[in-house]
Amino acid sequence: MKLAPISLQFHATFVIFCLFACLPAQAQQPSAILSGTVTSQSGTGIANAMVTVKNIATGRSTAATTNSTGFFSATNLAAGTYEISASADGFTSDTTRVTLAAGETQHLKFSLVPALSLSGLGFTPSQTQGNAQEQARLNKRSHMLQMHQRLGLITLVPLVATVVSGGFAGGRSTSSTDRDLHAALGSTTAGLYFATAYYAIFAPKIPGTKTEGAIKWHKALAWVHGPGMILTPILGAMAFDQKSKGEKVHGIAQAHGEVAIVTAAAYGAAILTVSINPQTKHHLASIFEFHHSNCSNAALGDEAFLGE
Amino acid sequence: MNRKIALIALLLAFPPIARADSQWLLDKCTLTYHVDHPLHHVEGVSSSARGKGVCQAGQCQFLIAVPVKSFNSDDSNRDLHMLQITRGAMYPMVVVRTEVPESELNSSTIHANLQVQFAGQTADYKDVPFQLSRTGKDVHLTGSIPAKCSDFKIDPPKLLTMPIKNDIPVVVDATWSPSD
Repeated sequence: MKLAPISLQFHATFVIFCLFACLPAQAQQPSAILSGTVTSQSGTGIANAMVTVKNIATGRSTAATTNSTGFFSATNLAAGTYEISASADGFTSDTTRVTLAAGETQHLKFSLVPALSLSGLGFTPSQTQGNAQEQARLNKRSHMLQMHQRLGLITLVPLVATVVSGGFAGGRSTSSTDRDLHAALGSTTAGLYFATAYYAIFAPKIPGTKTEGAIKWHKALAWVHGPGMILTPILGAMAFDQKSKGEKVHGIAQAHGEVAIVTAAAYGAAILTVSINPQTKHHLASIFEFHHSNCSNAALGDEAFLGE
Repeated sequence: MNRKIALIALLLAFPPIARADSQWLLDKCTLTYHVDHPLHHVEGVSSSARGKGVCQAGQCQFLIAVPVKSFNSDDSNRDLHMLQITRGAMYPMVVVRTEVPESELNSSTIHANLQVQFAGQTADYKDVPFQLSRTGKDVHLTGSIPAKCSDFKIDPPKLLTMPIKNDIPVVVDATWSPSD
C-alpha cells in the first residue's frame, strides 16, 4: 500500500523532467518563413488579398493580408506541409501546397484570374438585367394572342355552318327560314371574327421584332379574309333583301357566294399556316415530288427527301 | 540590416513557385433547343453564346452565357412566345457553369456536372456526357443537356389545346480556344 505514493512521485518527477527536457529542444528548431506576392494576371499587385496558411498536420491556420504591392509573409512556421490559399474580391481564389523544412524560406507567387462573370464575357448590364415592363408587355401580348387563337378556332364552327347553310339559302327555291338561318349564322360568324381580329390587332407590338416564318403567311392571308369578312355580310344583306322581295339576286350581290367562299378558304388557310409543322409541309411536298417524279418516269433521286 | 540582406539572399536563392494557370475562350458555339408537339417539332438555334474557362490547380471552371432572345426558330411569333413563357425579359440570360478536372480536357468524353440558370430558376444536371475532339490547340465539344420545362417551372405552352412535351433538350456544339 505504501508503494503507491512512491510511484506517483516518480511519475510526476518524470513528467516534469520531460517538460523541461523537451521545451528547449523545440525552441531550438528554427522556424520557417513563407512569403510571396498576390498579383493579377497583368502582374499588378493586389492589395488586401487574404492569404490563409494552414498546417495540414495540426489543422491550425494563420492568415496574412497583402500590402499595397501585393506582398505577404507568414513567419514562425513550424516545419511541415501547408495548404496556402489566396483570395481577393473580384478574383477566383487559388490554393497550393508547400512543404517547409525547418528554417526554410519559400516564396510563393499567386497570379489570380478575374472571377468568371457575365460582365467578364462582354455582356452589358442592359443585356443581363431584367426588365419588368417588357415582361409585362410580353405577357399581355401572349394573353391576347391566346384569346385570338381560341376565338379563331371557335369562329371556324359557325363559319363552316354558314357556308353549308348558304347552299340552301342561295338556291332558286329557298325558304325564308333557310335565309334567316344563314343570316343568323353569318352574323354570328362576323361577330366572332371581329372579336378574334381585335385581339390580334391590339396585342402589344414588341419593338425590333422582324416578322418571320409561318406568321408571315398568317398575316398576309388576313389581307384576303379581312376585307372578305367586311364585304361578305354587305353583299349577303343585299342578296337577302333582293330575295325577300321575291327578286332574283342581281348586281354585285351576285358575288356574295364567291366572295364568301374565298374568304372562308383564306381563313382556313390562315389557321393551317400556324398549325402545320413546316417540316411536315416539306415532308408532304417531298412525298408529292417523289410520286410526281415517279409517275413521270423521272429520276428517282428525290427519295432522300423522304428520310427527312 | 544584416537580417534584411539575409532575407533577400534567401528569396533569391529560392526561385518563386509560379502558379500554372490557363484560360479558355468560347470561339464558336451553337446551342439548339428541341421542342416536340403532336403537330410540330421545333428547333431554336442561337449562335450568340459567349464563354470563358479558367484552369487553376488542375481544376477548370467554365462559364457560358447566352441571351434568351437570341434563339431563333425561324418564326418570330413563336420566338416571342418562347420569350414570354420563359420569363425572358425578366431573366434575359441562360447561364451555364461547370467545373471539370483539367486532365479530362484531353480525353474524348467528359461527364460534366452542369448548373444551369434559366427563367429565374437554377437546375443541376449531373454527369452530362460530352464528346471532345482536338484540332490543334482548340477543343471541339458536342453533347446534349437534358433540360425539361419542369426543371425551370415553365408551363408547357399549348398549340390547339395540346401542350408540348416536357423534355426540351439543348444540343451544344462548341469550340474552345486557349486564351493567352
